[in-house]
Formats: sequence, structure tokens, C-alpha cells
Amino acid sequence: MSVFFRRRESEMPAMSLEGALGPNSRLDDADAFAISKPDAVCVNGDGHLLVSSGSEVLLMRQWGQAPERWANFDAPVTALAVSGSGHVAIGLVGGRLVIRGPSGEASQGWTPSTHPRAIVDCLFLSDDEVAVVDHGYGPDEPVLSLAPWDDAARGQVLAIGRGGATRVIAAGLHCPMGIARRPDGSLVITELERARVIDASGQALQSGYPAYLSRIRKIGGAYAIACLSRRDPLIEFLKTEREFVARMKANIDPRHWISPRANPEFSYEFPIELGATRLFGEIKPWAPSFSYGLVIETDPDMTPVGSAHSRANGFRHAISDVTGWNDDVIAVSRASEEILKFHPTGHADER
Amino acid sequence: MSVQIDFARLPRQRVPRFVLSPRRVLSDVLSKGWVESAIPFIAFIVMVLGVVLGTKGYVTATNLGNLTQYAADGGLVVLALLVVVAVGGIDLSVGSNFAMSAFAALYAFHILGLPVWAVLGFSLACGALVGVVNGALAGLMGCGALLTTLGTAITVRGLFTLASQARLVAIASSTRSSDLWDWIGFEKPFGMPVGFLVLIAVALLIFFMFRQSRFGWHILAVGGNRKAARHGGINVKLTVFFAYVVAGLIVGLAGFLFAARQNSIGSDTGIGLEFFALTALVVGLGGFVPGRGSVVAVLMGFATIYVLENALINSGFRGDFTEFVLGVIIILILGLDVRFRKNRHRLLASTYLDPVALQVDEINGMAGLMPNAVAPKLSGAALIGSGKIDGPEDVLLDSNDNLYCGTRDGRIVCFAAPDHSEASVVAKIGGRPLGLALDAEGRIVACVAGMGLVRVTLQGDVELLTDQTERSFFSIQDDTTIRMADDLDIAADGTIYFSDATKRYDIADWGLDLLEGRPNGRLLSFDPKSRTTKTVCDNLIFPNGVCLTHDGQHLLVASTWTCSILIFDLQNLSGGPRVFVHGLPGYPDNINRASDGGYWIALAGMRNPVMDEAMTMPRLRRRMAKRVPPTNWLFGNLNIGGVLKIDGQGRICDALWDKPDGQLYMITSMREHRGALYLGGVTNNKIGRLALDRADAAWTGPGSYWKKA
Repeated sequence: MSVFFRRRESEMPAMSLEGALGPNSRLDDADAFAISKPDAVCVNGDGHLLVSSGSEVLLMRQWGQAPERWANFDAPVTALAVSGSGHVAIGLVGGRLVIRGPSGEASQGWTPSTHPRAIVDCLFLSDDEVAVVDHGYGPDEPVLSLAPWDDAARGQVLAIGRGGATRVIAAGLHCPMGIARRPDGSLVITELERARVIDASGQALQSGYPAYLSRIRKIGGAYAIACLSRRDPLIEFLKTEREFVARMKANIDPRHWISPRANPEFSYEFPIELGATRLFGEIKPWAPSFSYGLVIETDPDMTPVGSAHSRANGFRHAISDVTGWNDDVIAVSRASEEILKFHPTGHADER
Repeated sequence: MSVQIDFARLPRQRVPRFVLSPRRVLSDVLSKGWVESAIPFIAFIVMVLGVVLGTKGYVTATNLGNLTQYAADGGLVVLALLVVVAVGGIDLSVGSNFAMSAFAALYAFHILGLPVWAVLGFSLACGALVGVVNGALAGLMGCGALLTTLGTAITVRGLFTLASQARLVAIASSTRSSDLWDWIGFEKPFGMPVGFLVLIAVALLIFFMFRQSRFGWHILAVGGNRKAARHGGINVKLTVFFAYVVAGLIVGLAGFLFAARQNSIGSDTGIGLEFFALTALVVGLGGFVPGRGSVVAVLMGFATIYVLENALINSGFRGDFTEFVLGVIIILILGLDVRFRKNRHRLLASTYLDPVALQVDEINGMAGLMPNAVAPKLSGAALIGSGKIDGPEDVLLDSNDNLYCGTRDGRIVCFAAPDHSEASVVAKIGGRPLGLALDAEGRIVACVAGMGLVRVTLQGDVELLTDQTERSFFSIQDDTTIRMADDLDIAADGTIYFSDATKRYDIADWGLDLLEGRPNGRLLSFDPKSRTTKTVCDNLIFPNGVCLTHDGQHLLVASTWTCSILIFDLQNLSGGPRVFVHGLPGYPDNINRASDGGYWIALAGMRNPVMDEAMTMPRLRRRMAKRVPPTNWLFGNLNIGGVLKIDGQGRICDALWDKPDGQLYMITSMREHRGALYLGGVTNNKIGRLALDRADAAWTGPGSYWKKA
């Protein structure tokens, strides 16, 4: 009788959306600029902003200025990175890597010998070598729907050298999404579903983030992590229900699976959580939602020190990328198809 | 216009006669009040069995006779203590008082030579006097009960010692005898000693005092919460005072019976009696529990200690060993009891939700009508009363085109014709008004969750028609009270048919009923002429909307969680329901007549593949309810809703949806009226009005029901 002898089960410590991660409306209040189908963003050697927009890469010289087309590809852009010398690495759907010169001109000699399944992020290790993050899901596989229910660690980080040489930096990762370099030159990698930041050996540097992590970027001396959605107690519980997961996978189209989502849309095809019921036609900001907008700002040890939110009643959800630009933070919202600009935590003008 | 329904050809809906589930039985038993005394009761049974099996020849007439002979003293003192503890006090002077009363009886009988009835009065007065002193000090003056009664205990013991030493020889050498005196002491009418019969009589008196008398209720109220009792207008001090006096009287009675039986006293009379009584009380009540007058539990505790002590002594153990064993057993019982009491509510909470697998039929008849396949017609609806009302679950129009709805704060609100712009309150009912209907006299009959069936005149007079029905045969819980009256319709003969959506949950917890997926609801009828309420069909799965068919021969009832519409034959209600429509794309709420001979069905929410899968997995839902906060429970999509139109044979012929983020989302009711459809939503703050293309512009609901009749 557990009633008489109650067990106190200990669980992995996890962060909640409190304290430094407490709710605010910084993303909803941020300046926004509409970009069609944005995904990745970076700052090039001239200090201008490069933003992916579907199969194009746009260049924005100043915030708010109409962006100009910088490059155009035959497949949607999935990753962007800039080298010290101003070269730009571009990941494309299907795991193709393209390197362009500082002005968008083709760069010679980069013909990878192997293609990863996907390139969700990349980072120049040197002018001659690019680290690419492969989460292991193909172009037709909706990562947000699949990854929470997937036990297989099929992700990897590869280093692709000029001339095509490829070496594996890390393998057996569970849905890696982003990569950044620490001051000592070592790499940090974010894992979407495991909600942690690891190093190249797979060792966790910080875990228990209350979100599905996307890319991580060094801003100043610290980091910002873009988050595709927040973690949800219902999904966390259902992960422990093996039979349910098996039946869902067997009987239901992945489109209808219960999972974090990139869009706050209402649709009759999806279930909701009881507390998400609209009252007087409105969604309450604190309602549980499967989509969410969140940027986590951390200290150099990856401990959160600030955050920017777009809550259940907001639309700037699914933050896929983030970067620092002229003392501001630039974030990409896939749901609202916007790039957002806001002051980092601790900035003098920040409210 | 009306279409004949071929009832006999429709598939039967199986309705269980009763729900048999061990978990439900456990939770129902746990929520009963008497289960509080479960551990003392079990301890008593175990102890009796142990003694009977472990002691040879214990159950003999002689021994039982002895047991009953001596039970009265202790039993009465325990009851006296119960009265004092129930009022929130304690009485340590019962032992001394007992001895003093016995002395008083002997003094009155042997020395004063009073008749026996006067001796009884003398003894009672002596006991009551100690009670008055205790009551005056502890009750009226507010001195601490423990210190006061400790003081009187020592004082009275001193008085007793002085008096008994002075008069003991005189009493012992008295030769007075009386038949009545001896009869009280030794006779056994009905085979039981007089003392034991008195104990039973006093126990009954106290039982009824706590159950039925104002004084008894006052004692429990004061013991339960002194401050609240005072605010409730109870004279707390006087109640405490009289509780001590009553306790003193009972102790006086016990002393009298002791005197009549023993005809003598000793210096040790009544010593340790208070601790024996306290132990028995604590074992019975599970501690010093003020505000609980459980006579049966306390007597059970007394019997446990009394018999156990007797059996141990009978077995020939040494006195000190007897006390040691007794102490250990008492601690064991108390430990178990305290643990059980502390965790009973937790055990109840963890067993109450009792899900079952529910296989909902595949969506059918919706080809080309799903929200992604048709234009959102409701997005063209005008909005009425935005922000002026909270939760119009049902909407209703009278023949003068006035629009009525119930609100979350328990009002019936009217939007006057013709522009429906101003809201005025017709009546404040309280509860949560849900379904509405107009009767032949133009009065509104409302289903009110938490109250029952209520009739409201347009002048604002409110009359409760019924809040109870027959108790179902197979139920541990008393299910007579109508818990969540949901929707109703009125037959031509005036009979009101209405649904009680769930017997197990209040409206605030209606979501739990979906997680449970059991047939918890019922269809009821109320006959206004005889004012009787009957259960038409028990054990339906969330019966919601109720609608009389156009021909007045059948009754449609929405079964929300099974996404189907059931139909009853009014001529043969006991024949049970059949399935009229099944495989709806959402959760049906209210049903109402359409002008073309069909019906409108409100969909409060949409089902989806994940929820349908979860409904087949009861253990998953139980674990979820335990481990996931309620706001995060998996649920049907209540943020989208719509209206379906079916024809007179139950075929879906149209579907009205709003845009996904539109203002008309969780639609719980709709009424057609003069070529327009009015839509209500239980979580909305507005009513929609949609002009219909091909509808009879003269048709009204009241006309359909009452003008033709």
C-alpha cells in the first residue's frame, strides 16, 4: 500500500519557466521585419545581416532597410555561417553544403565527398574546414513531430574540408540542432529533444532547459539559444507511455501526432490541453500550448540569465535562429515569418 | 413536413444496467462517512476473534454475564467523556466524580435512608454538581479544561477520601435493604443486567442527541470550530457549560449503578478510571477529535479495551504484563488508525477517477463537410451582446422574438426584440443555468447544474421544480441528487425530459467525465402535474442535448463522448435507446429542431485521432490524471466548434463552421428562429446570429412546439 509507505521519487532536475526564464512579452514587443520563410541568420564580414528566405539569402545593411538578394539557390536554405575571412557557408535541403565568397561569388574547391541527410547548422572551424550539424532527418520528415518520439540517436557533427575530406567530430547525437565555439576553441552543440547543450564528446554542459533547443550563438561573452517550442508536461508524460507511442506511430499520420509545433494555429485536427480552452474567444497567455517563442540568454557556463518570450497568445513562435547585431539580438520567428530585433538582457535601454 | 422515423430499424444502443468496477466500489466506500471508523471496527473484530479463538471457554454464559455486569461503569464514563471531548474539552475528574457519586448514593441510601428514586436523584445531583463546577470554570470563565478538571479531580478525590473515611463504617454496618435497590444491582431483565440496559439507553440517548437535537448540534458545532459557532449565533460558553453538566450527570448515574451493585466503596474506587476511559475514547475516535459525536465508534473502542483487558486478566497474566501488552496493542491500533485517517482522502482521490476503454465510431457522413473542405459560413454571423454576458450555454427565443440565455453567474438574461442590443436580467437563479426551454404557458424551464430543474416566469419568479430523482438500485453512493442537469425538452403533455449529464462530477470537473468515459449520466423526466421525477434511462454516456422530434413521438439525446445521437420512443421508454446518428466529427451538445423537418446539432468541440486513440486506453488516462497537472490533460479540441444540420432521418446534410480563430468556436447551442440561427457557447461572451439562406422565415421554436398542438 503506497498510501502507507509513500515513496518520494526523484526526477532529473529540470528548469521551469520561472526566474530568469520567467514569462515576458519581449518577443511580442520586439521590432519586427517580415521575411518570407526565414530560417537562418548571420552577420557577414562587412557587418551586414544575412537572412535565409526560402531558397534565397537576403542581405540587410541596416535594420529596417529593404533587404537585397545576396544569393539564390535551387533548394531551401537550412543553415548559414560566416568565416573569419568573410566566406559564407550555406546548408541546403538534402544536406548539400555550398561555400560562397564574401560578396556571394562561388568559392572554388569545396566539393564534399559525403552528403549528410541534412545540414541544420554550420560553423567555420578554419577557412578551410566547416563543421556541419546533421540532425539525421530527411527533407520529408517533420523533425518537431518525430524527434520527441524517437529513441534513435541518428544525428552527427561532421567536419567538411576544402577538397572534400570529411571527418566525424561527433556521432550518435540525438537530434543536434546548433553548434557554436567556446573561447577555448572547443565546440558546444544543442540537442533539440534532449534539451541540453553538450560538447563534442557528448558530455552534457548544461541540461534541463524547458524548451526544444534550436541553434546556439555566441553573443558577446555569453550565448543565446533559439528555441523552437517549450517543453510540455503532457508530452513529457506521454514519452513514458510506450504503448501509446507505439499505437500513435502505427495508426496515426505524423501530421496529427501530438508534438511540439511550429505554428500557433487553431486546427480541428489537433488535440489541445484542457487548460488551453479559449475563454471569451481569447487564448490566455499562460495557457499550455504546443508552440511557443523563446530565446534563452545564458552566461558563459550556459546557465540562463535572461529570456525573451512570445507566449500562448502570441504569434512569434518557433524561434529557429538568433544572432547578435550592433548590440541588439536578432531572432528568426518561423511561425510569424519575421526577423525580430530586441535588446539583450542587461542592456541599458531594456525595460 | 415531419418525416416518419423508422425506429424499429435503428440499431440498438446497449445501456448497462449497472457499472461494476472494483475501483468504483472502493472509492464509493471511501467517500462514506462511516469509513472513518474502519480501523477501530476492524481492530474490534480482530480482537474479538483473537480472544475467542485464543482463549478456551471464553464465550460462556457466565463470563459474558460478568462482562455485561461490569460494563456499565466504564461505558457510561466513556460516553460522558465523549460529550466533553465533542465540545472541545476534556474531563479528568470523571474518576473522582464517579467515586463521589457512588459515595453519595450509599450515604443517601444507608445513612439518610432515602427511597431509591431519591437516592438516584442525590447521586445524579452530586455528579451534576461536579459538572457545574467544571462547566463554570472551563466553560463560562474560560479557564483551561485540562487544569480545571485536574483541579476538581484532586479536590473531589480529597473530599471523597475524607467523607468515605468518616462514614465507611456506618455504611458497612448498615442493614438497610430494599428490593428495588437489589433489583438495580443484581437483577437481569431480558437476560441482561440493569446497568447494561441503562448503558444502552444512555448510548441511544446521546446518539440521538448528537443526531437530532439542537443541543447536540451545538456541541458538535462548538467542538468543530468555536469561532464559526459563535459567528453562527451559538452561545458557545453556555453550550460548553451544559456539556460538562451532562457529562457530570452521566458519571453520577454510573456512580449510582456502581453503588447499587457493590453496596460498598473503597479508597481506590474510580482510581484510574479516567485513563481507562480516555484510552477507550482515543481508540474509538482515533485521537481527541472535537466536533465528532461518534457514539458507536467510541463504544467500539471501549469494548476493544474492556474485552482485551478482561481476556488478558482471565488468561492469568500478571497485572503489569497485562498493562504492557494492552499498551502495545493500543499503540498499534492508534498508529494504523492515524495513518489511515491521514491518507483516506489521498486514497479516495487516487481511486475516484475510474476510466474505461471507449471506442468511438469512425467519422462518417462528413465527406466534403469537414472544416477544411467547406467555406466557414459562421464567419458571416453577426455578434449579439459581446462582452455583456458570460457563457450563454443555451439560447432561447420566444414568440415575440426576445432572446434569452443563461449565464455563468446564475442569471437568465434577456435581449429584447427587435434589435437584441440591450441585456436585462430576467431572474437570478444561482447555480449554472444550462439548457432552456419554453413551456406552453410561455415560462422558461431551465436545467441548472448544481441545482436541478428550475422554472422562471418572465416576471422573474423562480421555482425549483425538482432536484432529486429515484435512487438507482445498484449504487453505494446516494445518487438521488441531480448533479448536472444539462438540457431539456417539453412534450405536448407537459412532461419535461431532461438530462443529468454526470452523477459523479460537478460542472467544474466535467472534463474528468470525458477522461473517465463511463456511462455516468441519465435521462430523467419530470411530470409537473404529479410533481414526480423519474429516471427514464440510467447509465448513459454524458447525455447532453435533449430534443423532441417534430412528430412528438421520439426523443433525441446527444451522447457527447460517444459522438452520437440516441433516440428514445416515448411510447416505449423502457425499451431503451437506439442510435440515430453516430460517428459525428465532434462532441455533440444541444440538439434543436430546424424549420425544414431536420435538426441542428451543436458541436462543443472536435475529436481528433490522438484523443480517439487515448479514449481506448483507460490506464493511460488514469496515469495522466495522476501525473500531469489538469491544465495539461490531453483533451478534445474545444477551441473549434460548429453546427451540423441533419435531416429528419439523421443524415448529415450541412455543416457550419467558423474560421479556425473565429469568434464562434465552442458552440453548445443553437436555435432557429424566423430564418436565422442563434448560436451560444458555454465559454463565450457573445451570441452569434446567422441569417439562413433557405429557411422558413416564419418558423419559430415556440410555434413548432405549442401552436400546432
